Amino acid sequence: MDAFLTAASMFADPYLIGVVLAGTVAGVLVGAMPGLSSTMATALLLPFTLTMEPIPAIALLSALYCAGTYGGSITAILVNAPGAPPAAATAFDGYPLAQKGRAGQALGIASVSSAIGGIFSVIVLIVAAPLLARIAYDFGPPEYFVLALFGLSMLASISGEAPVKNLMGGAFGVLLATIGMDFTTGVDRFTFGFWELSDGVHFIPVMIGLFAGAEFLLQAGRLDRVVVRAAIEAVKLPSWLDFRRCLPTIGRSCGIGAFIGVLPAEGGTVAAMIGYNEAKRWAKDKSQFGHGDIRGIAGPETANNAATGAAMVPTLALGIPGSATTAVILGALLVHGLRPGPHLFNTTPVLLYGIFTAMLLANIIFLGVGLLGAKLFARVTLIPVKFLWPSVFVLACIGSYALQQSLLDVWIMVIAGILGFVLKRYGFSAAPIIMGLILGELVENSLKQSLIIFDHNWLRFLDRPIVVTLLLLTILSVGAPIFRRIRARRRAAAETQGGPA
Amino acid sequence: MSGDVSDRARAGDGSAAPRVPRDVVVGVCVLVFCAVAYAITFGFKQAPAALAQNVQPASFPRLVISVIAVLSAGQMILSLRLPEKALKPLPWAVAVSAAVMIAFVIAFDAFGIVPAMVLLCFGLPVLWGERRWHLIVPYAILFPAAIYGLFAKVLGVHFDPGLLGPW
Repeated sequence: MDAFLTAASMFADPYLIGVVLAGTVAGVLVGAMPGLSSTMATALLLPFTLTMEPIPAIALLSALYCAGTYGGSITAILVNAPGAPPAAATAFDGYPLAQKGRAGQALGIASVSSAIGGIFSVIVLIVAAPLLARIAYDFGPPEYFVLALFGLSMLASISGEAPVKNLMGGAFGVLLATIGMDFTTGVDRFTFGFWELSDGVHFIPVMIGLFAGAEFLLQAGRLDRVVVRAAIEAVKLPSWLDFRRCLPTIGRSCGIGAFIGVLPAEGGTVAAMIGYNEAKRWAKDKSQFGHGDIRGIAGPETANNAATGAAMVPTLALGIPGSATTAVILGALLVHGLRPGPHLFNTTPVLLYGIFTAMLLANIIFLGVGLLGAKLFARVTLIPVKFLWPSVFVLACIGSYALQQSLLDVWIMVIAGILGFVLKRYGFSAAPIIMGLILGELVENSLKQSLIIFDHNWLRFLDRPIVVTLLLLTILSVGAPIFRRIRARRRAAAETQGGPA
Repeated sequence: MSGDVSDRARAGDGSAAPRVPRDVVVGVCVLVFCAVAYAITFGFKQAPAALAQNVQPASFPRLVISVIAVLSAGQMILSLRLPEKALKPLPWAVAVSAAVMIAFVIAFDAFGIVPAMVLLCFGLPVLWGERRWHLIVPYAILFPAAIYGLFAKVLGVHFDPGLLGPW
């Protein structure tokens, strides 16, 4: 409690409030811009924070993360182009409602439900993270190894379309993490004579390349896209009747978002889709869903924002990212010399409560900023893409360079960008690679330590109940999506053989 | 790779010969990558037994490569007999932009950051079809200046002087 009060009192400092405000406004802007996600923005912004103290740096990124998740709803509603993947489900009903001339109402319910979801998730974070950290405090290398495996296995379900490809991406990330000097023996691996690679491939240029570089190329292929914006008169608060109608949906989506967010590797996009489906499933009258039902906005918006704080729970308590953006924030903590995990709660509780306070503040600020400025933020879609994306690329290059002031990092960013584009084209996602890269060191070191503890007897992993539980969960999380995929394959094959009905 | 646009449905109606599924082609590429990466691990130095404690530097990478190879084989099997959407051909602007990305880093190294940024901010919008010179010219001057000022002067990032060294 003392740490929380100390952290909260720090936010009386106008500088910190200014940092959170700047992060929130930047987050809403970035979230509103189709193609620019909060993940990419946090990756691009990370190098700017290198010279900052850890608390303002992480507060800035956390505020951007919260607000970016909300910002995506603005363009999802007004232009039917979700600013960020978590807002994709918001467009299902948001855009039809805007086309009916009720854009203000749609944006209003999106702002309110996002803020409620976000604040709920911070409460979950404040309660759950220290509890989880306390449980994890006694974890040894075998538990950490299996926990990291569980985190990587959860990648299988990030995209139901390609569970195996997600796992391959995660494993590829782990392989990238082996580049450089082996921690225990001092032997160089995959360095090809470049001494700069002995320290390994830094995840920041890879992250910037995979998110920003690949998106740059993707947008280069969409230069002829025309954006049609729905008219917006003013953003008005939803009426009490609207709010009462959405209340059960908001409550349900708070729970859905928090649960999905806490699961390692899952994030706002999955939560929003489930939030939307559940809003529809529980509705007595489903006829308006897809045609502008306000509950179709409240459901996904509450859920994706409820996942933000919850995704920070495994990130901070275990060092296992809860989503792609929290992987970047985890990276930022590492860059600032902080190793996320249970020990962080003992060594730097003020920092953690500072993050919690910043996220809480960001959710309150974006409610106000969103309601007052949505009309203005919607104008970001008017920025010509032929100027926007060269600017993003320049920032990506300079951001990669600034980290170690090495041109090699810029090359790594460019290669990661081109590779990321090619991989995306063939159905792979960037997030698993980043997760693998960040968790790679933990996986290798904890495995080696475990094998030494167990005298290289793999069966002794099964002596530990937590390890067995996590292994079973890992098998389940890998098996379930693959099993679903096999079933879908059989169904599709049967349809192909049977011909169209 | 864009020519690899197998469309199983199209193949099924007899209008074109059945092609290899895209995921099988991708899987073969991944397997080749795994084979090369595995071969490279044989070039790693052996660590003394006391230091390595039965886990040589190559052991873990080999384990991970094997996992990727197994997953790749699984993906190839899963993709068999599945209809797949044809990939759209890559727009020319993507290839040009990828080349510009590489050219920018070469220019960064050869000329310095400011000239490289000016060239990119001028050239790329033009390559992408922008012809509003009253926007292009100020953008190509002001944006690089702002970025250089922010990183070099405010954040203290050191850039090699390049062509603008004397200034």
